[in-house]
Amino acid sequence: MTWNPHAPEPVDDRELIGRVLAGDARAERELYDAHVDRVFRLVYRMVGDSHRAQDYTQEAFIRGFRRLADFRGDSALSTWLCSIAISVTLNGLRSLKRAREREVGLEDAPAIGARPVEADPDLKVRMRRAIDGLPEGYRTVFVMHDVEGYTHQEIAATLGVQPGTSKAQLFRARARLREALADFARD
Amino acid sequence: MDDDPLDESLRAAAREYHRPPDPPREAMWREIERARRLDRARRPAPRRWIPWAAAAAALLALGIGIGRLWRPEASLEPRAGVAAARPDWAAPRVNETAYRLATVEHLGQSEAFLTLFRASVRTGSQERLASATARELLATNRLLLDSPAGRDRRTRLLLEDLELVLAEIAQLTPQATAGDRELIREGMERGGVLSRLRTVVPAGTTPTRGDL
Repeated sequence: MTWNPHAPEPVDDRELIGRVLAGDARAERELYDAHVDRVFRLVYRMVGDSHRAQDYTQEAFIRGFRRLADFRGDSALSTWLCSIAISVTLNGLRSLKRAREREVGLEDAPAIGARPVEADPDLKVRMRRAIDGLPEGYRTVFVMHDVEGYTHQEIAATLGVQPGTSKAQLFRARARLREALADFARD
Repeated sequence: MDDDPLDESLRAAAREYHRPPDPPREAMWREIERARRLDRARRPAPRRWIPWAAAAAALLALGIGIGRLWRPEASLEPRAGVAAARPDWAAPRVNETAYRLATVEHLGQSEAFLTLFRASVRTGSQERLASATARELLATNRLLLDSPAGRDRRTRLLLEDLELVLAEIAQLTPQATAGDRELIREGMERGGVLSRLRTVVPAGTTPTRGDL
């Protein structure tokens, strides 16, 4: 699947929003079709699991439709939908993390952070682990910028932060990844 | 800082991170459409309470008016120290507390109900009772959503998600299949409604109904 986050949106969002707010169910489907790929891609990149990505994506659209009357057009509709999706996803991941922490017995606790860094020589696997290990904010910005190709302006609008914050978090994320994958970088 | 990218090999590996498959568009749309149908079905309902609320308010105002007319002259004099000592925010604070208590009680009852409902999903023998209880709770839920209690964002989101689950249960009939009940249970799990209710409701503060 080829994806370009900067590709122009082919649908007139304002017209669609007007029809959705007027109760046109077909317009809801059109709006969904216009944005679902972008939202799903981003959510999947964050969770890495089809079922969860599906749940979070549909939840993001349901909330988006419910709150559409509040959309002021300060950003693109796709950015607004992605910000809802990111919020749903991060909340879901936090709940999941808490649930997993509860499930892990105290005797297992010391093993959680002690992943055998040198155990798997495959760069993709090591990269995945390293990205998974980034703090939430760094990981979100890194995935959006370096993996999905969003600009700092888009990330800032989606996450509700300043572009400078996005740049700083990306810088730190890259530094951590370089450190974690230093042996590969030298090769 | 964009001029400080990772090495090409690392960038290539990063692009493989959680590489997404094609989105299951139709499956997701079916769930969204279902939720939207429920949203549309329940939209006209909230306004029904307004005439009752207006009538209750009018009755209350009338009662206060009559009470003032009949009050002995002496008691019209403010008691020294009492009126002056009462701060301006006292009345709104009482209202807020009342709404908060009502919300906690409602959420406690809903939590007890959903726990029982979830336990009865497999047997599926009490749809009529479940539906009636859900309708009762749905009415209270809507009142709270439209009250000052619904102004708090977290409470509002919980009440909205709870409304969706209650609306689904309210539509259950004795002809409902195990699949219908399972769909509702899945909806509850997906939104984490029950666990969120348990987080909000302090243990032992609300009465449980004991049945559906």
